[in-house]
Amino acid sequence: MRSDAAVRSPWILHFDTGSCNGCDLEVWALLTPRYDVERFGMVNKANPKHADVLLITGPVSLKAAPRLKALYEQTPEPKVVIACGDCASNGVPFYDCYNVCGGIDQVVPVDLYVPGCSCRPEAIMDAVVQGIELWRKKVSGQ
Amino acid sequence: MTDVVSLLLLAFGPLAIGLLLGVDRRITARMQNRVGPPLLQPFYDLAKLFRKDRRSTNRTQVSFAVAALLLQMAAWCVFALGGDLLVAFFVSGAGSLALALGAFSVRSAYSQIGAQRELLQMLSYEPILLLALLVLGWQSGTFMADAQDESMLFLLPLVIITFVPVLAIKMQKSPFDLATAHQEIVSGVYVEFAGPYYGLLKLANWFELALVFGFLSLFFWDQNVYVSIVGKSLLAFLFLFVTVLLDNSTARLTREQMVKYALTFGLGLIAVNVLAIIVEAAL
Ligand code: SF4
Repeated sequence: MRSDAAVRSPWILHFDTGSCNGCDLEVWALLTPRYDVERFGMVNKANPKHADVLLITGPVSLKAAPRLKALYEQTPEPKVVIACGDCASNGVPFYDCYNVCGGIDQVVPVDLYVPGCSCRPEAIMDAVVQGIELWRKKVSGQ
Repeated sequence: MTDVVSLLLLAFGPLAIGLLLGVDRRITARMQNRVGPPLLQPFYDLAKLFRKDRRSTNRTQVSFAVAALLLQMAAWCVFALGGDLLVAFFVSGAGSLALALGAFSVRSAYSQIGAQRELLQMLSYEPILLLALLVLGWQSGTFMADAQDESMLFLLPLVIITFVPVLAIKMQKSPFDLATAHQEIVSGVYVEFAGPYYGLLKLANWFELALVFGFLSLFFWDQNVYVSIVGKSLLAFLFLFVTVLLDNSTARLTREQMVKYALTFGLGLIAVNVLAIIVEAAL
């Protein structure tokens, strides 16, 4: 089986680690007719065991941290983690807050960061397309 | 000649189903005003799944996934090589049971609920499909798949229509997509199967669908081989379209409603059809 056939089917897991829901709405917008990411074979699976691309939003509240870690560990390799929004990238609006970890990369390794508060769907799509490139490398074991 | 046809059917049946599922996703996307994935998307999905890490919750789960695939393949072989329709039907039923048992073997609430719903789905479609096959055998005088050489289009029209609920259940389509209800129990029976093992189950579903579409195609026949093939394919596409239309225009039923509606609709239609035949013969 060729690796380019395999990368045409990135399945998404979207997890909200305590965001204001702004970025979540933009992630959901990807599935609407306007952006239609199923063109790239992407389907929202809502299940870590079936997921390849993790779209994570929010600054990771202390309660969400172990759950995020569990979801990450349940996702079989190869996988790509995308931090969607400023919160997820470095916890920015909640910077130095007592109850957040301050970004996804404090808990799990992150491959791509999408800036913006909230991040634009176009930017998420761009990240996903770059993520697929990265994933191709991971699939072919480079 | 028939040997060659059988072997071709054996190999290309499941591949055709992969394409059909691609068409299904395209039509669904168009109905939702989207562009949709490429036609070969189901094959890409499968290729991807087999390249993922091998992870399983326990070994029982893996054995049941393999059993489900082997049983569905066996059922398809029996059909494609012209064997007994009822044998194919029951072997395929055992395959569905293996899927449910695999889901039961994991201590996950979604998986367990999914498995129970899968059993209820079997309770809903198996009597319909079995009776449809029995009526087909009664009219054609044989249960052998390769000896079905009569067109049943005008004799058993209502029996053919009962394939709509059967296909909707088998293709996990609304209003009967209870076992894999995405919004309620994520992917239900499949939720705990990851990577290649999920791939095995997907493949098993392709073989299963090949069998059901195979049963459906038996209801059309023509002296001319080409007319026969075109007619059978048209029948399959028509039913795919109706199922997709149903999927996009209905809401999911509850368990009780599913069993009630599917059985009354399916068995009712078959009963009316059989009665009509008997009455016509008596007159
Ligand atoms: S980055 Fe902004 S919009 Fe996105 S979750 Fe954080 S606060 Fe909300």
